Amino acid sequence: MKKNIAVLMGGRSLEREISLKSGHRVYGALKKLGYSVTKLDIDESIVDNLTSEKIDLAYIALHGKDGEDGTIQEILELLNIPYTGPGVYSNILSFDKIISKQILVSHNIPTPPFYFLNESSFMELGASKLLPLVTENLGLPLVVKPSAQGSALGVKIVKKQEDIPDAIISALGYSKKVIIEKFIYGTELAISIIGKDNPQILPVVEIVPEKDFFDFESRYSPGKTNYFVPARLPQSLTKKVKETAAHVHDVLKCSKLSRVDIILDKKEKIPYVLELNTSPGMTDTSLLPMAAEEAGISFEELVEKIIKLSLEDD
Amino acid sequence: MSKEIILDHWKHLYASRVALMFSSEIRDLLSLSARPDIISFAGGLPEVRALNYQKLERYIRRALKMDGDISLQYGSSDGYYPLKTKLAEVMKLENIDANEEDIVVTTGGQQALDLLAKIFINPGDHIIVESPGYTGALNSFKSYEPKIVSIPVDSNGIITSELEQKLKELENKNIQVKFIYVVPNFSNPSGYTLSLSRRKKMLSLAKKYNTLIIEDNPYGMLRFEGKPVPSIKELDIKSSNQNVVYISTLSKIFAPGFRIGWVAAPHPILEKLTLAVQSADLCTSSFSQRIAYEYFSDPCWKENVVDFIKIYSARRDIMIKTLEDHFPPGASWSRPEGGFFVWLKLPEFLDTKEILADAIRNKVAYVPGSGFYADNRGRNEARLAFCSENTESIEKGIKILSKIIKDKIKLYRSFK
Repeated sequence: MKKNIAVLMGGRSLEREISLKSGHRVYGALKKLGYSVTKLDIDESIVDNLTSEKIDLAYIALHGKDGEDGTIQEILELLNIPYTGPGVYSNILSFDKIISKQILVSHNIPTPPFYFLNESSFMELGASKLLPLVTENLGLPLVVKPSAQGSALGVKIVKKQEDIPDAIISALGYSKKVIIEKFIYGTELAISIIGKDNPQILPVVEIVPEKDFFDFESRYSPGKTNYFVPARLPQSLTKKVKETAAHVHDVLKCSKLSRVDIILDKKEKIPYVLELNTSPGMTDTSLLPMAAEEAGISFEELVEKIIKLSLEDD
Repeated sequence: MSKEIILDHWKHLYASRVALMFSSEIRDLLSLSARPDIISFAGGLPEVRALNYQKLERYIRRALKMDGDISLQYGSSDGYYPLKTKLAEVMKLENIDANEEDIVVTTGGQQALDLLAKIFINPGDHIIVESPGYTGALNSFKSYEPKIVSIPVDSNGIITSELEQKLKELENKNIQVKFIYVVPNFSNPSGYTLSLSRRKKMLSLAKKYNTLIIEDNPYGMLRFEGKPVPSIKELDIKSSNQNVVYISTLSKIFAPGFRIGWVAAPHPILEKLTLAVQSADLCTSSFSQRIAYEYFSDPCWKENVVDFIKIYSARRDIMIKTLEDHFPPGASWSRPEGGFFVWLKLPEFLDTKEILADAIRNKVAYVPGSGFYADNRGRNEARLAFCSENTESIEKGIKILSKIIKDKIKLYRSFK
């Protein structure tokens, strides 16, 4: 009997368009693999849609709010429908970058030094007076980003003290809390991990954007960024980076799938962890499919691998 | 061995103009405005639901039954002749004395913009646009790689004293301006209408500097109040009839789905334009043109325009009233006498691009101002389309937007 798979995509998140691209591509792969597949957009009828027919597995191709913050995972748990990617807890931990960074710190995993401030601290507690202190402690440039948002939306690199307020106001448009982080000069790397008990760490992808950082445009415009797989690193460093990623995957209670974004400090060669993604992009320019291909895993095989991991739980 | 991943193998083959096209987070955010739960002030979508679909069905059936051979066949590149007679009648209602020989039909006004750019612009040529101006025109023009000179507008439209100064400057450098582009009635995006004295001045400048005016008039018939201002084309016809290329469209007085626009211009230009249509798409859809002919043969179409005006003016009223009642001091907006758009200006420290994510999270969308400028200005401005949402949604959406903006101002002040 062919398994019936629902690809969950779109949704209310600001990354809707990216999710639709991931979702359509996954849908195509599942069709080719011979599954019976339906596409489901996430809206007020999602619960009805999930219960109206027997679904053997939900493929989560959602990014951002609802899809990567534990919301849809909890709904699927309640409905007893198996789903791809990590569980509720892991999604909650990794979606809020403040929580995940605190966990990394508590496990001695390097992550760029940071402060977090929320909107009300500026509006009601005069926190803006602390900004010179923040700069004094972290130095310039700084990275200002929303605590819970993907695809680099709302992220700004600030080189001058006077530009910090605008960057904070911008980031607060995406979430109520903002992270102000030390800017690490180095090489951007993405490490995808797939599997359960003995997860496979895929080849490291090195990201070289034309601009000074991997922003939205660099991510989704083919040709705006150069990628090298495996990353052009000596073996010892590759090993160190992979170990760090695996450690992050563990401490954030990930199972089945994750992508860890790291910046390898230019001088000290310290792999600073930026974030962990529980629903890595599956578009034409996404990093997970790129890494898989280098490991000899085609896109269809990757999709099959991801769903098999979740069906095994049955 | 590490290898570079080539995502696009044809990078070395693309034309240089492709470098101007890229993914943008604003475009991705705005695509969310299509969701039914979002109150969208973003797109200028006409209220096609106000049309009588049953009647339309009849027109379509007639087009097939009476003239199937014509409707389903290629047509002439300059347009379906009977429709052109109707378009000339439409122009006469706006006091423009043109006949079918003076008209070429295009696939929407948008194709007219693209083809006019194609026949006039060589890379590096100078063109002049009003600023802010219609993004769709700017993007069409940009792909032919001109130097775009922006002239600001105020509540009376493009500022002709600045236009004159710029034309003089360019002439001193021996630079021939290829054309000046304006939307004189209830402009997209500003909602402003070009005053009669400025229309006259513009025309005299075009004559003096031996250049063309592209007068784009999609909204002229959607006037809610006040006296119509003669079109620049009308003024030109009364003199030499040499300097104005007039564009209009059925998208706003009928429906954009048919993709019918037209150009009325001096005949030598029409000849070039007909050749350009031929090489672009041979002809505008014969089927669409045949149906449009039916529609404009039924005198009811004028009543439909009256209905459209009623709907849009009520929507404008509620938008302006809610803005007046709820928006904070320091914000200002245009009060258009017709058309689709209100132009919003916020205090200078606010950036409408940055506020958009917040607005969309709160289920309201608009278009940030900078996209309407060729030179990246307009960061504290935005276009609010009142044409697409019903009055309740407009009131609700403007209240939401007002709260977001007040919060932003408060947040901003906390940094002072």
